[in-house]
Amino acid sequence: MKSSLALRTWAILWKDLLIELRTKQSFSAMVFFAALVLFLFGFAVGPDTATLSRLGGGLLWIAIAFTGMLSLGRTFQSEEVAGGLDGLRMYPGEIRAIYLGKLLANFSMLVVLEVVLVPVAAVLLQLEPWGRFPLFVGITLLGTFGFSVIGTFYASLTQHLRARELMLPLLLFPALVPVFLGAVNGTTLALAGDPLDRIGGWIRLLISFDIIFFVVCVWIYPIVLEE
Amino acid sequence: MNDRSAPAVRLDTVSKRLGWTWALRAIQLRVDRGSSVAVIGPNGAGKTTLLRVLATLLKPTSGTGAVLGIPLRDGAEAIRARVGLLSSRGHLYGDLSALENLRFAAWMGGVSVDEARLRAALAKVGLDQVSEQRAREFSSGMQKRLAFATLLMRRLDLVLLDEPYANLDSDGIRMVDDFVDEWRAGGGTVLLATHRRGLAVRKADRVAVLQAGCLHRYCRPEELEPADLDPQAEPATPPVLPAG
Repeated sequence: MKSSLALRTWAILWKDLLIELRTKQSFSAMVFFAALVLFLFGFAVGPDTATLSRLGGGLLWIAIAFTGMLSLGRTFQSEEVAGGLDGLRMYPGEIRAIYLGKLLANFSMLVVLEVVLVPVAAVLLQLEPWGRFPLFVGITLLGTFGFSVIGTFYASLTQHLRARELMLPLLLFPALVPVFLGAVNGTTLALAGDPLDRIGGWIRLLISFDIIFFVVCVWIYPIVLEE
Repeated sequence: MNDRSAPAVRLDTVSKRLGWTWALRAIQLRVDRGSSVAVIGPNGAGKTTLLRVLATLLKPTSGTGAVLGIPLRDGAEAIRARVGLLSSRGHLYGDLSALENLRFAAWMGGVSVDEARLRAALAKVGLDQVSEQRAREFSSGMQKRLAFATLLMRRLDLVLLDEPYANLDSDGIRMVDDFVDEWRAGGGTVLLATHRRGLAVRKADRVAVLQAGCLHRYCRPEELEPADLDPQAEPATPPVLPAG
């Protein structure tokens, strides 16, 4: 009997989040690292409110991206410890569930991290996301989803490489340029209140790239994994 | 294709190259349904590679084959639905409890996640008293038992066991033997790869002796020569490799 795609995806998401909840290793390190990055940027830029406001969106996304790399690096670690992906591949049913489950686990972890990170950034970088908060949240979620989609895919690609800690960011960051472009500009405009109403273009860019990357990654994942 | 009269395993000059090394060389093998075959040989002989090819985790470099009548090359999903592989590391998550590991396996395998059924599977391998304990706190033998429990929940026609006797005490070895007997009684087929040759041949209908990736001998246990049971035996001369 085969298990449905949704059930298998749920099983992998449940397992990964439960392991993370039990160990808390990855999340604690992520929060500490993200706060440290923001703290250092805050110091580097100084107390100039105008500069902080102009750079705030970019600095926030640098912190999310660097911290997200920690999460991505651990995506397949639990499988390695358990003996590799062979165990998951041997279960009957849609192999894409492995990718979807890992993607949702990464996305969930990053969203929880951002819930902690945004108030910290608001204090350290003197950001004021509360003015257009729904817009700010929407852009952050779109950017985080795009990051998770591509990041999970590349984490799977590089899991067997010896220098995977080096190769993952080298391969990943160029592919993430469109997502960062939309996310950084969209976040900066949302923080500034978007007086000229230019944010729509960046949101459309983010949505387009999220959809394109999601479809492509889901489509080719079985080929990548099986070959 | 899923021909019930087809043999459990049929390999026709199957070879597998891993990097620059030929891990399997022109393997010819036929395993009848309901039988038990022990695959023996020294480390590096190709036992695990053979099981991984049969489990469709590796594609043959050359040659053709079928498992349960389903071609290896394009029937991976259909084969995995009816074939179980117990790898040497068992595929367990140390930070999940025994029960949670089983629940995960049940979800992934598409079987009922009924609590009573999960506990029954644990009881069968003697772990019902430690069901809430994390797998990382288990001994190697207990982890092996838990890995067996994940297989017990699924309805499988062919079971591939890679080093099932490793790290087991006498009770554990008896559990593996009972498992093999029970599986065969239900009409299932078992392929068991191990370097513990003496243990393996007790339960086998036939024995496949692998050496340096070649199928050196495929016979009944009583037809084995003393050298086949000697781990220090010299490897056979490899046959001529297939083109490509």
